[in-house]
Amino acid sequence: MKVLRRVTKRQALGRVMLRECRRLLSKPLYPFAMVVAPLFCYFFFTSLMSEGLPQNLPVGVVDLDNSSTSRQMVRTLDAMQTTDLRYAYGSFTEARKAMQQGLIYGCFVVPEGFAHDAESFRQPTISFYTNNSFLIAGSLLFKDMKQMGELASGAVSRSMLYAKGATEKQAMAVLQPIVINTFPIGNPWLNYSVYLNNTLLPGILQLMIFMITVYSIGVEIKDRTARQWLRRGNHSIYISLAGKLLPQTVVFFVMAAIYNVYLYGVLDFPCQSGILPMLTASLLFVLASQSCGVIMIGVLPTLRLGLSFASLWGVLSFSISGFSFPADAMHPMLQGLTMLFPLRHYYLIYVDQALNGYSMVYSWVSYVCLMGFVLLPFLVVNRLKSALIWFKYIP
Amino acid sequence: MPKEQGFKQRVRSGIADLFLIWKDELKLTFSDQGILIFFFVVPLFYPLLYAFIYNNEVAREVPAVVVDESHSALSREFIRKMDATADVHIVSYAADLKEAQLLLKKTKAYGIYVIPADFSKNIHRGEQSFVTLFADMGSLLHYKNLLITATNVSLEMNRAIKISLAQNTTEREDEITSAPIAYEEVTMFNTQNGFASFLLPAVLILIIQQTLLLGIGLSAGTTRERNLYHHLVPASIHYNGALRIVLGKALCYFMIYAVMSVYVTRLVPYFFDLPQLERPGTLLFFMLPYLAACIFFAMTLSAVITNRENVMVAFVFSSVPLLFLSGISWPGSAIAPFWQYVSWLFPSTFGINGYVRIHSMGATLSDVRLEYGALWIQAGVYFIITCLIYRRQVLFCRKRRLDSYRKTKGRMSDDCR
Repeated sequence: MKVLRRVTKRQALGRVMLRECRRLLSKPLYPFAMVVAPLFCYFFFTSLMSEGLPQNLPVGVVDLDNSSTSRQMVRTLDAMQTTDLRYAYGSFTEARKAMQQGLIYGCFVVPEGFAHDAESFRQPTISFYTNNSFLIAGSLLFKDMKQMGELASGAVSRSMLYAKGATEKQAMAVLQPIVINTFPIGNPWLNYSVYLNNTLLPGILQLMIFMITVYSIGVEIKDRTARQWLRRGNHSIYISLAGKLLPQTVVFFVMAAIYNVYLYGVLDFPCQSGILPMLTASLLFVLASQSCGVIMIGVLPTLRLGLSFASLWGVLSFSISGFSFPADAMHPMLQGLTMLFPLRHYYLIYVDQALNGYSMVYSWVSYVCLMGFVLLPFLVVNRLKSALIWFKYIP
Repeated sequence: MPKEQGFKQRVRSGIADLFLIWKDELKLTFSDQGILIFFFVVPLFYPLLYAFIYNNEVAREVPAVVVDESHSALSREFIRKMDATADVHIVSYAADLKEAQLLLKKTKAYGIYVIPADFSKNIHRGEQSFVTLFADMGSLLHYKNLLITATNVSLEMNRAIKISLAQNTTEREDEITSAPIAYEEVTMFNTQNGFASFLLPAVLILIIQQTLLLGIGLSAGTTRERNLYHHLVPASIHYNGALRIVLGKALCYFMIYAVMSVYVTRLVPYFFDLPQLERPGTLLFFMLPYLAACIFFAMTLSAVITNRENVMVAFVFSSVPLLFLSGISWPGSAIAPFWQYVSWLFPSTFGINGYVRIHSMGATLSDVRLEYGALWIQAGVYFIITCLIYRRQVLFCRKRRLDSYRKTKGRMSDDCR
């Protein structure tokens, strides 16, 4: 009779890991989802937003006055960074039509008799219209146009003050007694690429981690290889899981390191804290995301439902992590829910460390939360094991 | 069976098969939980979830801290006015910048206003005073609130100071002194600058394309898994022709999505009080090519799916890049030409742009003729590609059947010998 040789735990772990590496290379889906898709997204988003701050947004002008004063104003507006006066229209209706056709993001209307009224102190009104269905474009133009409005008004007052014999300093003190100086900490260029990509790229990676973790476990149930997998791991779910997930951890951490190096090293995005805290956060983030994946397939051990859960959670992360729409503006119930998304904690760490350069102490809650995720799979591990042994694949 | 069928007969059998395939596909759809999730559960509930997240539209009462070194009536007026706005909430007064920074680090506040010691003195001396704003850039919405509020309050106070300096006699004179040229700013279509009104329409349209992509991909993956030779086409006499298969299946999806689209594009915005300026007829005509383009686009892509669940792993992440490619959040005019060309491959690009303009901006069909035309072209091109793919599959299938028939026949004749 052949006696089965007992293997040590370490040997078992090695065998499962080897098996997993082979599996990862056997299907094109794994390299695609783990390497190609994230790399593509890194490149895509940074290249799409390489301008940093959108510039030269098309704007229309309706100059009903056509005086030298109004033309001067139009030129000033055109010279502004974000505004590109591309079209002139004969009436507001035409400009609105152009807006509805998507040609322009805003328009600027100078009324008839504008110069005449301004010179005779009849306070003419100029109007700015911005299309805020495109929020970023609309807000950027709004800023330019407001500045333009103040400048136009100021120009008239200034020439009046000069005429009365005021010096430039005196004139400015009358025109603008209180000045607001703004220092946007960490991102003085208001660079949207910095603002968005620091969370978008990890978000994509997180989505892929959820998917691959759920898929790689769920597909064992589907293909009826789960028992073989457990056997390799000495029938221990802990060894089997660790052996399966560790090779993936390595790949995902390398992917995370790549975006860190790419963003902070190649593109020179602000990283006040140095790259080490960010790499630490990335490692915890990868582990937390994998743990979430284990919970998803543990709670719903059907491949299709597990993947649906992963997609829902992964895609929702982008909105609920609060980097575009702040979490404190959401419904209180959702604010509590944000705790359950690793991306939220990663985002908070990024703001504290890379963007603002605070010491890691200030973000301890987020680090602890990320570590907390790693403990969660222990809750579902037994359920998962029985699912691996007894569950039958339901299409 | 006669080898050569008359044209009339072929059309007749084709139409009969088309409806048979349509019926099969409907049965498959309603018996498959996975497809049901994508075709019904996601379009029904996902928009509600998104709307719930963004429902507050804007951030209000952003916490800020003040370092008031001036301690004057004027500086207090400035602070009071800041706190009175809806957008900013002064949570604390700090003795110095260090203390204020600590509050920022503990995320008790997102901005610091520093009012210098000579703030009031300078103004009364006829010199400029500078208020400094340090803003946390973690969220641009916070920064925007902090900056715009400070600017507005300063403009308001500047006006009052200017008037007091001018020593006018009438109120009208005051008005003219404060602003010789008045200006008004009108934010159109999304008047409150809301986040939901801006992002949700794009998300809604994207959901239609992505759920179709996932559902149809799942269905194709299932067919391949169940099929003996891993083909897209079941071995049945009725599936003998590409056109009838493609049209039969598409009809099934179209019927389901005709209903779902009404819910997604009309009811969801209505539930959440988003601006709705569309004429229903315009929207109806616009959704027609969009659905067709999405369906044939999904059927084309589903050809690469070999297993049921792969479709989710491979396609779900694409939603995020597609949303950005549409030019709603990142302005279309700032997208590099290369990415613009790439974006033309996807129905969502034209669908989102057209829908946002029709729905949020009240555009007519002639205003979105570019998108409308592009969607019809996409529908046509993807339809042809789908037909070619299925034609190849049908031919393959026929050949395989013929081969195996010959093989068995050969074996039988061998046995006989």
